[in-house]
Amino acid sequence: MIVVQIGRLAQQLGVHRNTIRNWIRSGKLPARGVPGKRYLISEEDFHKLCHAFGLDPESIAVRRIPMKADQESPPQEPSVPLTQLKPRTNLLRASPQWADVCLTCGSCASACPISAVDGLDPRKVVRMAVLGLENQLLESDWVWKCTLCGKCEEACPMNVEIVSLIRAVRGKQPRDRVPVSLQRGLQTCLETGNNLGIPQEDFVGVCLDLADELVEEGWNGFRVPLDVKGARVLVTVNSKEPFADPDDMKFLWKVLHAAGESWTLTTEHWEGLNWAYFTGDDQTMRALVARLVDQMARLECRTLLLPL
Amino acid sequence: MLSIFDLLMDYVQTGRLELDPRLHPETTTFHDSCHYGRKSLQAFGHGYFEEGRWLVRQCCPNYVEMYPNREGNYCCGGGGGLWSVPFHEERVFHGRFKARQIRNCGARRVVTACHNCRDQMEKSLRKEYDLDVEVVYLWELLARSLAAPGRRSSGGSR
Ligand code: SF4
Ligand code: SF4
Repeated sequence: MIVVQIGRLAQQLGVHRNTIRNWIRSGKLPARGVPGKRYLISEEDFHKLCHAFGLDPESIAVRRIPMKADQESPPQEPSVPLTQLKPRTNLLRASPQWADVCLTCGSCASACPISAVDGLDPRKVVRMAVLGLENQLLESDWVWKCTLCGKCEEACPMNVEIVSLIRAVRGKQPRDRVPVSLQRGLQTCLETGNNLGIPQEDFVGVCLDLADELVEEGWNGFRVPLDVKGARVLVTVNSKEPFADPDDMKFLWKVLHAAGESWTLTTEHWEGLNWAYFTGDDQTMRALVARLVDQMARLECRTLLLPL
Repeated sequence: MLSIFDLLMDYVQTGRLELDPRLHPETTTFHDSCHYGRKSLQAFGHGYFEEGRWLVRQCCPNYVEMYPNREGNYCCGGGGGLWSVPFHEERVFHGRFKARQIRNCGARRVVTACHNCRDQMEKSLRKEYDLDVEVVYLWELLARSLAAPGRRSSGGSR
């Protein structure tokens, strides 16, 4: 038999003393109390316990005492299998601290401008994630109505990462639950290089037209730098501009020109929007960023102007 | 990597952009975008709060603040992809705080450095909440404040 002291064993396993007391009380850990606040555990139960915690039983210093019972009666199977001691896995529990650190104070819910929409608010979302109600979250539209604005986090006294949680829920929802416009835009971007599927020649055409207009407006000598190798700054474009508000592109161009900047646009993968951020899809997000990095390498640009 | 704020600050501080502060006398305010502010502060340890204000003041001496602002600012309501998805009512509902802030500060012009914020305020909130303001991009304000439009800077160095 193994002689254990609760405090010592708790330290060795990395759990709280009361946890071990509870196991003993509930019968999960068969043990017999002996004088001196010590307990006797069978060799086999001790091994199971160590395995459940991924520890080598030989590496744990304990006192063993030979007993007749050890040889005579076969060790009893514990009534509840010890595998239940494994830490609980929870799809949405990004940090094991959450359960403990959230005070349920509701500051986040008070700060959030869309609290109560669909009967939800950030505190409920945090509690649902902690309590394992992830299926309800994975079926909710609410996470798409949140603007990821971070007002809730700013109000949280415990620094719970509420926005990351909400984005994680978005990312774990099946892709056919992602609002169609976002998912379609992302797909188009992967296929064509921009969210709206503007063909390369159209993009170049819009740029050249705008440059002509600038010259007509008195910006003498203005030329739109397309694929200029070795330019200092690579500038991306938000696809809604060439598509719907091309004139708005001229503002930034005027500033860059007036400052005498060495800059360029790329005619491939010029999209600055990365909607994978919104859909919670990290893999695609990375792939789109990699495209910009590739364009910088292709054009030998050292600096990227963070997409606007 | 450079943010638009770093770039524009550099131009103005080194004299590569000359701005004329007489062109925009109307009362003007600056909207803190969630990602350049709170998010950037959290992710990179620096929130772009002061740069935008400084740049706006170079163009618009008659500057006012919305309250709360900086870290405590209210979202325009169009973030997180909401501008592009069909939850129209929720988007406008979220924006009610922003609309109230804009109205209360009395500005006639709102400047922002984010496409999303600009579209939400200019194309939606202005109509939904009947706001008498124009909403402009930060770089748009600078382009419209150039002392000598059309001329290329000779001063400053790379
Ligand atoms: S990030 Fe989402 S949950 Fe948090 S305050 Fe903003 S809208 Fe509400
Ligand atoms: S503000 Fe933070 S601590 Fe308070 S309920 Fe929300 S998540 Fe929990």
